[in-house]
Amino acid sequence: MSNSFTHSLGIRHLVCGSCNGCEHEMNALTNPFYDITRDGWDVVASPRHADVISVTGPMSAAMREAAQRTLAAAPAPCLVLAVGDCAAGEGPWAGAPDAGRGAGIELGAAVVVRGCPPTPDAIRQGLREASLLIGRAAPRADPADEPLPEELPAR
Amino acid sequence: MYVEIPLERPDLFDDVLRACSTREPLGAYATNERLNYLFVDGGAVCNLCAARDGADAGESVARSVPLFDWHEREMRDTHGVELTGLPVSRALFVRDGVVPPALTAEGEGVTIIVVGPVHAGIIEPGRFTFSSGGETVVHLDGQLSYSRRGVEAFLEGCDAFAAAPQMARVCGACSVARSWAYARAIETLAGVACDERTEWARLIFAELERIYNHVFDLGSTAAGAGYGYGQTQGLAIKERVHRVCAAAGGHRFLFDAIVPGGVRIGALDAAGALRSDVAKLRSATAEFLDALFGARSVVGRFEGAGRVPRETARAFGAVGPARRASGAAIDMRAVLPYGAYRKLPPEVFSETAGDVAARCRIKRAEIGASFELIDRALAEFGTLPPPPPQRFAAARGRITTVTEGARGAESVSVECDARGHLTRVHIISASYRNWPLVLRAMEGNIVPDFPLVNKSFNLCYACADR
Repeated sequence: MSNSFTHSLGIRHLVCGSCNGCEHEMNALTNPFYDITRDGWDVVASPRHADVISVTGPMSAAMREAAQRTLAAAPAPCLVLAVGDCAAGEGPWAGAPDAGRGAGIELGAAVVVRGCPPTPDAIRQGLREASLLIGRAAPRADPADEPLPEELPAR
Repeated sequence: MYVEIPLERPDLFDDVLRACSTREPLGAYATNERLNYLFVDGGAVCNLCAARDGADAGESVARSVPLFDWHEREMRDTHGVELTGLPVSRALFVRDGVVPPALTAEGEGVTIIVVGPVHAGIIEPGRFTFSSGGETVVHLDGQLSYSRRGVEAFLEGCDAFAAAPQMARVCGACSVARSWAYARAIETLAGVACDERTEWARLIFAELERIYNHVFDLGSTAAGAGYGYGQTQGLAIKERVHRVCAAAGGHRFLFDAIVPGGVRIGALDAAGALRSDVAKLRSATAEFLDALFGARSVVGRFEGAGRVPRETARAFGAVGPARRASGAAIDMRAVLPYGAYRKLPPEVFSETAGDVAARCRIKRAEIGASFELIDRALAEFGTLPPPPPQRFAAARGRITTVTEGARGAESVSVECDARGHLTRVHIISASYRNWPLVLRAMEGNIVPDFPLVNKSFNLCYACADR
């Protein structure tokens, strides 16, 4: 296996005004042609389990609060992957009255995958980059370094 | 065909009510000047419209005909149309951080379960509020509009041709149906007709879109019943359809494959290769469908779930496979024939059970019919690619055009000024038409069957929210 697969990744997907095209391609990552689970990656049901939050859409006004709360619910280290031109702030709805600056821009994406929608292969490359970044930025603590409690908590 | 019937404002309510009993309603929308109620009448889209006057607010049609509920609330929320007697008064859209309250059931033993707007899978956002008594859903409330970008207002003032790529991206999963409706609107206003090869190409794109959506729906419905093979195999077949789309129309979702005046340059430039790709896809799909429908324990879950009676489907203005599964053989390709469907009318299927199983059977039959249409279109098409899109000037006027997308009637209402700029665009998607029905379909079903029932409709949010 390539060195680039340094981590298993929990991916939580967050839709912020996307047309659903990017969601179809995110879904395709789980089909037998791409099957990201063989890379140790999976789409998780809660931000609590996420290493990466993938975001799509220009950031619809109605999703702004829910998006920020989703990010706040994720444990560190967790980074944002912008998927698609809208999330990058340059999609067809940039400047629309209820659209923001791009979900990836507003939420501080560390990795941006362009495309309308990006192909599953392109998203997979973005995830690989995210995996590397997480490995470099914040290596996981070695459990052996954690002090053990002096006594077990009482039942 | 598009026909306008201008009415005096006080007569509008009565005439619309009368029309509802004899014609198929398509919805309603407002402009700053007028109110428009759309119907299918004979082979034409008929617009019963009246000028707005500030003094007379008028009566709500939704009070008598439920399908206008969302439409009339939207008229109020976007264009300030105040109708008296709206059956539901809360706002339709989330706006300025204010989420409209959910309507819930009250009583002993009723539990409220709120889900969303962020969901557990890779799904568009929406808030669902279940009122359940034990496992049984008493009422389901849906709050959409979380994907609202303000598409229609944004397109006002745009050049009609420059707006085409945006029309293709209002919603990813019904892009072809909407692009085709929009292209027809701009072409019809200018009196432009497309050549035969272009029309065959458009039909092929629209049917490929129907196939990938129906396959996805069936795979997702199988997932709702916990049938892993159905889900995985459905996704695999869908991927193969996207690859055929990319080869045929230059894009995995066929964005921009249909443009005003024609089709994408380079589309269908290898019709011979496409024929053999489609033939392989067709047999793989048939194998998948045989396995899915042969799984008795899975089909058993489909039967009786999410039942929608014929009268409910009509009252809520259901369209597409959802309507056809509930006893009505209504398909816009047949009732408002357009493009190559005039020469090659599709077979229209209908069922009466109105449950998940019936919707699935309709989609299975339609996948077969779509392959048949593509085969015949490819045979007529020959080998030469279609000509490049015609260049013409957009013309002033108003029109509503309708196509049959995978989920049903997709309509685009366009008003264009003398410079060829859009002054009003209104999109009523099949999903917008069918969402209220999904909520009704859950009543009396168990909470864990929501994925099953929901995916048997598999509606989009983006085109309903816009």
